Amino acid sequence: MTDHAHSSHSRPAVLLASSLWLPREHSWRRWPLIGLVLAVVGLGASLAYGAASPAARPQLWHSWLVGALFVLSIALGGLFFVLIHHSTQAGWSVVVRRIGENAMATIPFLALLFVPLIFGMGDLFPWSHADAVAKDPLLLHKQAYLNRTFFLIRTLAFFAIWSGLALRLNSLSRLQDRTGDHDLTRRMRKMSAPGLILFALSVTFFAFDWVMSLDPHWYSTIFGVYFYAGAVMAFFAFLALVAIGQRDLLARVLNAEHLHDIGKLLFAFLVFWAYMAFSQFLLIWYANLPEETGFFAQRLAGSWRPVSVALTLGHFIVPFFFLLPRTVKRNPKALGIAAVWLLAMHALDLYWLVMPSLHVGGITLSWLDVATLVGSCGVFLAAFGWSLGRQALVPLRDPRLPESITFENV
Amino acid sequence: MALLRPSLPPGESFGVLAEFASPTELYHACEGVRDAGYTRWDAHTPFPVHGLDRAMGIKPSRLPWVVLVMAVGGALAGIGLQGWVSTTAYPLVISGKPFFSWPAFIPVTFELSVLGGALGAVFGMFAMNQLPTLYHPLFSKASFERATDDGFFLSIESWDPKFDSDRTVELLRRLGAKEVELVSS
Amino acid sequence: MIRGTDSTKFFSPTEPVGRRWARTGCIGITPTMATSAGMSGTQNESGAIGAQSSQTAGTSARLATPDLLDPENLDPAHPDPVDHRPPLILGAPTFHAITEAVARPLERKPTRGWWICFLISLSMLGLLGVSIGWLFWEGIGVWGLNNPVGWAFDITNFVFWVGIGHAGTLISAILFLFRQKWRTSINRSAEAMTIFAVMCALIFPGIHIGRPWVAYWMFPIPNQMGMWPQFRSPLMWDVFAVSIYGSVSALFWFVGLVPDLATMRDRSTGIKRKIFGALALGWRGSVRHWHHYEKAYLILAGLAAPLVLSVHSIVSMDFATSQLPGWHTTIFPPYFVAGAIFSGFAMVTTLMVITRKVFGMEQIVTMRHFDYMAKIMLLTGMMVGYAYSLEFFIAWFSGSAYELFTFKNRAFGPYAWAYWTMVSCNVLSPQLFWFKKVRGSLVWLFVLSIFINIGMWFERFVIIVTSLHRDFLPSSWFYFKPTLFDITTMIGSFGLFFTMFCLFVRFLPIVATAEVKTVLPQATAHVVEAPTVQHDPEGSSAVDGRLGLAPGGAA
Repeated sequence: MTDHAHSSHSRPAVLLASSLWLPREHSWRRWPLIGLVLAVVGLGASLAYGAASPAARPQLWHSWLVGALFVLSIALGGLFFVLIHHSTQAGWSVVVRRIGENAMATIPFLALLFVPLIFGMGDLFPWSHADAVAKDPLLLHKQAYLNRTFFLIRTLAFFAIWSGLALRLNSLSRLQDRTGDHDLTRRMRKMSAPGLILFALSVTFFAFDWVMSLDPHWYSTIFGVYFYAGAVMAFFAFLALVAIGQRDLLARVLNAEHLHDIGKLLFAFLVFWAYMAFSQFLLIWYANLPEETGFFAQRLAGSWRPVSVALTLGHFIVPFFFLLPRTVKRNPKALGIAAVWLLAMHALDLYWLVMPSLHVGGITLSWLDVATLVGSCGVFLAAFGWSLGRQALVPLRDPRLPESITFENV
Repeated sequence: MALLRPSLPPGESFGVLAEFASPTELYHACEGVRDAGYTRWDAHTPFPVHGLDRAMGIKPSRLPWVVLVMAVGGALAGIGLQGWVSTTAYPLVISGKPFFSWPAFIPVTFELSVLGGALGAVFGMFAMNQLPTLYHPLFSKASFERATDDGFFLSIESWDPKFDSDRTVELLRRLGAKEVELVSS
Repeated sequence: MIRGTDSTKFFSPTEPVGRRWARTGCIGITPTMATSAGMSGTQNESGAIGAQSSQTAGTSARLATPDLLDPENLDPAHPDPVDHRPPLILGAPTFHAITEAVARPLERKPTRGWWICFLISLSMLGLLGVSIGWLFWEGIGVWGLNNPVGWAFDITNFVFWVGIGHAGTLISAILFLFRQKWRTSINRSAEAMTIFAVMCALIFPGIHIGRPWVAYWMFPIPNQMGMWPQFRSPLMWDVFAVSIYGSVSALFWFVGLVPDLATMRDRSTGIKRKIFGALALGWRGSVRHWHHYEKAYLILAGLAAPLVLSVHSIVSMDFATSQLPGWHTTIFPPYFVAGAIFSGFAMVTTLMVITRKVFGMEQIVTMRHFDYMAKIMLLTGMMVGYAYSLEFFIAWFSGSAYELFTFKNRAFGPYAWAYWTMVSCNVLSPQLFWFKKVRGSLVWLFVLSIFINIGMWFERFVIIVTSLHRDFLPSSWFYFKPTLFDITTMIGSFGLFFTMFCLFVRFLPIVATAEVKTVLPQATAHVVEAPTVQHDPEGSSAVDGRLGLAPGGAA
């Protein structure tokens, strides 16, 4: 750490804007292609299997939902990161903001992943069957909210909100690369505060609709925040991975200080997720009301129990102690391991949320789980890679770019 | 009395005290003194100056380890106390819950772990800094009162193997000291 | 002596503080700021970014209010070309001027204003003494409690005061972790507020148990009955959470005070020097000490941040672990934390509007600080609004008749007046903070912060009383009315709070002097220069081209 003292008289180095782009021959330029291949193979095989054997369809749609939620939650985390960056006028994160912008740019493409699920609604949601609703006074009561039309309208509205915010913020950011107009920073900030309100409401009700209503009798007011916590944590894991990958490309821009901050945020959201998860669990476990406690009773019985234990250890306790030291957060390799691990744990978390409504008695693995997850990740990778190559890797003329480059953790 | 006096070797002279005009000048002076190979020396500033500890070549603090041990100790004490009370010392059936209801023990365990960590951080820091030390030879200098206001000082102790009153004063002058004075023990 | 004129001479603004503020909405812009802006590391002479900023200066001038856009108003420590970060400390003071501004009020004789505040507070504290004395003599019957409302004002006040404390820890710990340097001007008084609020809070569990002489049963102390506390009760968690919160806050506060106590020691003489000297522990500003000190401070912040979240979460569990509709809902922990921060910031705002005026600290606690606090109140106000709405939605969604009844009763039952007071104070009134004019007006800030304080008190009242008063058995329904002693105890707790605060502002440095000095531009010892981004033709064309990078064709 002795390279620290810079003489204030030496001329600062010069960076060429063209060097802040993904080079033409860079291997990441192939991501769209690789992603498309994965998507076609993974999703195509799953769909074909589902078309051929109707008995496999419930499994197909549940697996598909896990995969789609996994990539969508990362993209939503990216949207949140960009919104919070603008509304807090953050300085340090300018050099990694493009990663968030590229992640949120995938949302319109990820909407396509939810289109086939419309045909799977019958297999996913008990409330979508008129005869089941007629026999169940609770579902009858909830019919005003849980019905196909309103559900689809809401889903459409959520994607419209997210895509609108993402595309608008992206285009303003790219415009600033060209013009350098500081007023654009101000405009993005002005958008972000109301954007956060829309984000909070849409993500909450999205989680209620697509995850909580899988078991339409169960309810938990914290559920939206729980989903949000996992999503943002997954995004920070993804951000850490991409930032580590970009370190060579952006050698003079991105350094251990930025990784340290990303690591701290990853750690913070890991703890926040645990806080939400524990709050939900403790309150339901303690009161032990029949209408609520079934959710955990099921997940703490049979072969779901080890999954719950694995989630507690793997999603919280182990990474908590692993990420605690400062050196781990500044070390690309160690941070990378933690990020990959936590992404896997986030997938497990979603699996744990969704699957028990299909496999009531215990965990039952299927190749469709893997195929749909790989396919969804393919769609995400393709869209992310496309967006990555379309614009510079950092916001070239963001007025706070110099602040971000020179930022140091105290 | 240890509370009142610092543990310093015997000797007539404490060393020299130099004043610098600004944090920047003190920063460069610290680099100079560090590079000259002194070991028993210190800088005094009214507020923490970012990067100065590195310019002085101070090793990272080991305080986090003290805190970790104390926090884990607090957690173990918490879960141990609650487990022992609820299963052995005074077992009660409460709302049909098991005697060892671990989810219900997490809040207190967490709180005690934070308490342990905080006590470790504060008293560990005082111990590492050997505080309280109510008297110090530097306090005999009237100018040193400004070390808690707007003065930036550098002190080199006479027990430093490289210390030589003439040459040390000369070095400090060369490094841009505004004022250099000798301090008696 | 109450006016700020005393301190203005250390900062030498060109005209009286009050008038400047009235004109620009911001105080003390001096020409020195413009020159010191040159110290920044991120300005560059040749780069395109530098050129851009001069080009857009014109664009921005059209858009925002003049106070923030004045080029003289750039924060020299953190030059921000987007003009949204005016300086943290106005008037470019010297280090010594900061010391003077903070220490002077303590070295003067108390002003008449202080005596008035102190005596009023003290008489309110006397009221608390009388109320508690009567309570101990007569028993809990002096309050308006009756089945099924066994908890009302006592626990409302408890939760209210614990909540007030949370802003202090948020400012001192969480904003520290987020590197929000503006906290340095207000963290000391906010932390003091935390400790006093926790003291007020701790009174209520102590006195509401009915037999206060056995209050020690709440602690795991070995006794002749072989009896131990019941750790599966959330009320036990509270005992630990709140007392540990108080202890850790006090430690954090004291650690922050040590360098400033040393400053006071070195300025004073006689007995005061001895007292400050003993409290300062012999601090001598050693960098070897600062080194461990900063680590300890960072760790304490890291510990206090989850602690503050846990404390109000645990307080919320007093209610949420039960099976009572209106209390049992999973959003309670984060919702209570958001509400606590909300009410705490309202209290900090109330106190700082008064304190900065009384002590003439307009340059240290600036309108920018109020602007940020208003934004935090807006944010947390919407968070509690989110929780209010979700509770209602889930009450309906659950399909449980009891849940639905409780919430209908809350909004349209006998306590509807309390519910709508809460909603209008907590959700509607902070919406005014969307307007920069409101955030920049001390009158608005003061009035709205009082509204929020009232609203947050009512929030706890609504949660507690409306959930209890219409029991499952209609024959036991009851309308709780506070008695005189309910009200005097509540007012008395404010007396304790303000008495402690008056003593604090009289005897201890109310601004973290050492920390404020670190945000001055001249505190930076070395400057790291950013590389300049040069917009070469290929880079610009790459912006325009698609996957392009085609040579030529610049923008």
